[in-house]
Parts: sequence; C-alpha cells; structure tokens
Amino acid sequence: MFLTLQTNDKRPIYQQITDGVKALIARGNLREGMTLPSVRQVAGDLGINLNTVAIAYRQLQEEGFVTVRHGAGAVISSRSPRPIDEAELYKPLRTALTQLILAGLNTRQIVGAVREELALLQQKEGIQ
Amino acid sequence: MSAPTQFEISVVSTGLVVLVLGYNLVKFAWNQPLQNGPGFFLGVEVPSGFYDGPGKSWLRNYRAVLVALHLILAAALATIIALWRWNLTPLWAGGAALLYVPTMIGFAAWTRHKLGANPPVRPVAVALESRHLRDYISWPLETLSVALIGCSWWLLLSHGGKRIGWLDPLGMTWCALGLLPAKILAVRCSFPIPAERAEEHYQYQDVCRRIWIRAWSAVGWFLTIILFGGALRRAWSPARRVPGFQWLIIGIALVFVIYYMILVRRAMRLASTLGRNLLPPGSWATPFSRAPFPWTCASQTSWTEMGLPYLIWFAIWFGGILVFIVYSLSKSRL
Repeated sequence: MFLTLQTNDKRPIYQQITDGVKALIARGNLREGMTLPSVRQVAGDLGINLNTVAIAYRQLQEEGFVTVRHGAGAVISSRSPRPIDEAELYKPLRTALTQLILAGLNTRQIVGAVREELALLQQKEGIQ
Repeated sequence: MSAPTQFEISVVSTGLVVLVLGYNLVKFAWNQPLQNGPGFFLGVEVPSGFYDGPGKSWLRNYRAVLVALHLILAAALATIIALWRWNLTPLWAGGAALLYVPTMIGFAAWTRHKLGANPPVRPVAVALESRHLRDYISWPLETLSVALIGCSWWLLLSHGGKRIGWLDPLGMTWCALGLLPAKILAVRCSFPIPAERAEEHYQYQDVCRRIWIRAWSAVGWFLTIILFGGALRRAWSPARRVPGFQWLIIGIALVFVIYYMILVRRAMRLASTLGRNLLPPGSWATPFSRAPFPWTCASQTSWTEMGLPYLIWFAIWFGGILVFIVYSLSKSRL
C-alpha cells in the first residue's frame, strides 16, 4: 500500500501525508489495528525532514485516527475520528465547494463530481 | 597435510580477489552504463539517438577508465609476483579498493554533472509497510557470530600464550563487527521511489537491499570463522594435532562465502528481472529533494543511497581497515 505525493500539490507536505493516510482509512485500505511505518522510515523513504512526518502523525493522533503506542509505533485506531461539532466537520466540505465554484463549475457539475467521488469511496469500501 | 604458510594464504586470497575482479569486469562492469537500456547512461536519462552520437565516446571513455584501472592493478600485482614480495598483497588489495571505488564513483558523478544535472521531478510514493530489522537480519546468526568472536578472544587471551600477533585478530574483529551497522543502515536507509509502478520499484529496492546484506554476511562469516579457527588452533592443543586444521577452517569459511554468494547471485538475477524497464534511481528528482546519487552494486544500480550515514560508516570502517594494513606493513619488513 502506497501513499503518493504529487509534484504540483500546493498543500504542505505534512498535510499531504495526513490527508493521504485519511483517504486510505476512508477507502478501507488502512484498517483498525494496522501499524504505520515509523516516522524515521517514512522521512527516509520520502527524503524529507523527520519533523515533517512527526507533525503529520501528531495531527493524525490528535484527530483520533491513530494511536501512538510506545514500542509499537503509530497504530490505526478507528475509522471514527474524535467527536467534532457539525460546523467543524463541514468546514473542509465548504472549502472544497468554494474551490469548485471558483473554478467555474455549476451546481450540476459539482453534485455530479461529489456523487462520483462518493461512489468511488463506497465502492472501495464495499458499503452501500 | 601441513598447515598453510602465510605465503600460501596470500596466494589463495590474491587468486580469489583476481577471480572476483575478472568476473566483475567481464560480466558486469563492461556494459554497466547500458544496464537500464538505450535511454540511459549509467542511470542518467539520455536523449534518443545518444548512442549514435556522443554516447559512443562516453562509452569509450568509460571503458578506457575501466581498462586503465585494471591495467594498473595488474601491473602492481605483476610487480609483487616478480619481486616475490607476497607480504605486500594486503596493501595491493587495499590499494585496489581505494583506487577502484573512488574512480568509478567519480566517473558516475562526472556523468551526472555533464549529462543529468537537472533530472525531471516526478511524483513520489511511500510504502506504508514497516521495515523491521528482524525481516532482513537474522539475529540468532548475528548473535552466534558475535559469540564466536567473543569466544575467539577469550581463547586467545586466556590460552593463547604470550607471543600473539594481535593485529590480525584485531583487524578481523574490526572488519566482521563493523559490518553489522552497515546491515542496519541498509534496512533503515532508503530513498524515494517514483509513484509510477511504485510496487515494482519497492520490490526492486527490497531485493537490492537483501543483496547488500547477504554480501556483507558472506564477508562477516568468512572473517569470523577464520578468526575462530585461528584462535582454536592457537589455544586448544587438540586442534593443533588435527592434520590440515587451517585448511579445514579455510574450507568451512569458503563454504559460508559460497552459500551467501549463491543467495546473492539469485537475488541479483531477480533484481535484473524486476529492475528491467524501471526508472533507475537518481534519474529523477522528488518534489522535495534533489535526485539521490546511488551506489552501483555489481550489475545493478542499487537503491541504496550513498547518503551521509553510509558515507560516515564506510569512512570509519574502511579507514580502520587501512590503518590495520598500513600498521601491519610498517611492522613487517617491506
């Protein structure tokens, strides 16, 4: 299982790692109990600073996606992140929708794109 | 069968080194620039038609360097044989490594500088699988090796008598134990793989990693067994009565070397198959870092980066060996 980081992605590297891991969890590729490689390994394999990966892991831990156990590394803890209020939950959705609107997509195209992405996720996850 | 003399051991060791050098030259080194296909020269991406134009002279120059290196080594060895100064063979072997490795690295660096200074940036992939030391390094075998070395020292110190040449056991201990950090580094260190065909690149990288570890294990076990055998012979009187005991020990050590070399050869074949048509390391840069400068490992451009940890390890380990060789020669009559 691989995490891919693109050349033209404007997000900070730690954010790309965090989002990539979350996407793999959402698709069911990373399941509860699975262990992520060590910070040192990921940093070495990507050729980036240790702290960058450490920040990404810390963020995943704070959001409740991984549990850092001493000696066992970062373990995928749950599909459900820590409880957050609705406004916070919808914030990334609003950001994404704003970007799509600014990119010139109309409502139908946006709804189509959302349905397509959702179907893709559900298909990989095997849920209805 | 009488015990081998220092002269016989020198002849056998030199013969082995010459065999390995010759095999490497004919089988791998001669065509190494072409190992990744016509689109690459020593792992550096070149435009199509390169080998019809400037590529011819690059290849000619590469082979000229290779031939010059081997001629120098052959001339030095011929001089040693003509003068019948076999005690200089360790210096020759050390000098060969000192000449060969930096020259080939220098040529690869020059190639990179002239032909591929700005390789394309490609998306990068990272495997979300943990690499554990235990999956690559056999700890029971490593423990056994360390125990044998410890036992050898105990034998030498407690039953070895007063007139022991400490340089040889010290040198062998240094070489053998110094390989463990290199194996750990081989597991820990890595460098980025391209997102395209990530799985195949990952497998290839893994096989190359195992090639290094097995090759080092071969060297480590050879030295450990020779050291242990020598200590046994020195300190345990029944061993001295066994006819040809030293040859027996050399034979056992060679069996270990051959076993590991068979594993290495198999892994290299697998690496050749896996590495075919894959992007060679160093031919592309990641979005976050420049293209790494890879070691070349026999026929394969290895996925083991010549990073700082490796350079530090190699400088300490190899530097130590050179100190032993030079000190040993300064003590003996040249």
